[in-house]
Amino acid sequence: MQDVRLRIASAAILSAAAFSGPWGAAGAFVWWIVFCSTRVTGSTLRRIALPFALVSVFGAVIWVTGGQGLTYIARMGVILLVASWAYDEYRPGEFLDLSVWLLGDRIGFDLGLVAEMGMQSLELLIADFSRIRMALTLKGKTGVRTLVPAGFILIHVTLGRAGETGSTLAVRGYQGGGTLKPGFRAGRFDVPGFVAAFLVGIFAFAPVSEFFILYR
Amino acid sequence: MKLVLEAVRLELGSWSLSAEGSFLSGVHLVSGDVGSGKSTLAMALAGMTHPAAGKITRDGIGSLMLSFQFPEYHVTGFTVDEECRSWSLDPEPVLRKSRLNGRGGISSFALSRGELKRLHLACLLPGSYDLLILDEPFSSLDAGEKERFCGEISSRNHGITIIFTHEQAIFPKTDFLWEISSGILRFRGKVPHSLPCWEHAPQMIKNLIASGRCPQNITKEDILEAACRT
Repeated sequence: MQDVRLRIASAAILSAAAFSGPWGAAGAFVWWIVFCSTRVTGSTLRRIALPFALVSVFGAVIWVTGGQGLTYIARMGVILLVASWAYDEYRPGEFLDLSVWLLGDRIGFDLGLVAEMGMQSLELLIADFSRIRMALTLKGKTGVRTLVPAGFILIHVTLGRAGETGSTLAVRGYQGGGTLKPGFRAGRFDVPGFVAAFLVGIFAFAPVSEFFILYR
Repeated sequence: MKLVLEAVRLELGSWSLSAEGSFLSGVHLVSGDVGSGKSTLAMALAGMTHPAAGKITRDGIGSLMLSFQFPEYHVTGFTVDEECRSWSLDPEPVLRKSRLNGRGGISSFALSRGELKRLHLACLLPGSYDLLILDEPFSSLDAGEKERFCGEISSRNHGITIIFTHEQAIFPKTDFLWEISSGILRFRGKVPHSLPCWEHAPQMIKNLIASGRCPQNITKEDILEAACRT
């Protein structure tokens, strides 16, 4: 889905639908299979493996204590798939376009800039974490013992980088807001994909069962 | 002891780097522009990433270490003393060597990047690794520290040392020259015979060669000797 407006709206509707219950999750999963599954790569699955494992642990605890742990795992699993798709489709600059289009040159520009910097930081964090793991492995530190130093280094590096970026913006005279003419790409499946996501949302939230009761 | 690259191909999206050759015992200098793939190759040589094609063989290499450009990546000690001990070293001589006397109790991250780099190299160099890979070891160091570091590298007489750098002024005594250009790692040969075909050579060395005074090596002393040669 090329148009970031339709993509974010679709991702929001599908996530809410999946979280609302098993039928919504099933609808969102079908949507994901139809529109996204052909573009799934090994890196997509690797990316969601760790959060899915964490979700599964929490789901297992809920299940053991008598709750609906299995549906929780299924619902959160679908949300992770949708989130991973939205992340894969991201192109630098899109959030700035979206935010300015939605909220204007002042607060929209500021929020868009923050979102873009956040996305950039996320990619750098992934690269940093990979190299930190290598460095610690070479130093003979492996397993759980590496988590504390790795987390400490990541926080330090990220804060340092944020400080440098802030200084750079200040030096360049940035005080708030900016001028931007938002531009959006269009793809063949943008509108069908969004309409399908919208229908999944209706299916998840509208009182469909009551309709069938009335019909009988 | 040797590190052998057979038809190695590294890929990152649409970018790729091809590499072939053998790294023998001694000091190897690999130069290349920023973004040419020095760090990617360094990680592959250390076995931290796998090539998309080809084979890297570490023949007779028992211990190896890769030093990243950013010294923060290696820190596991919350204080400077703890960081020295994490390398199994007594903090006192390391702090003296890295000119950080009396600062052993402070947080490792309270040091500036240059100080942290000094500390990292001071912790790293006493190790007798069979394969030592240094990715941009000169970054964040001032001229004096670069010279001191080059002196230590030049005196290393064990194993294979590979230095990836785009440094243009201060170098250690080097045995072999390599270059990355147009997506290919190229072996230029043994120093000094390889100096005339070194594309990334500093202008000073190019001028000396053009005037028929090829230096014996690329250290500051060798360049000075060649410049003063009559």
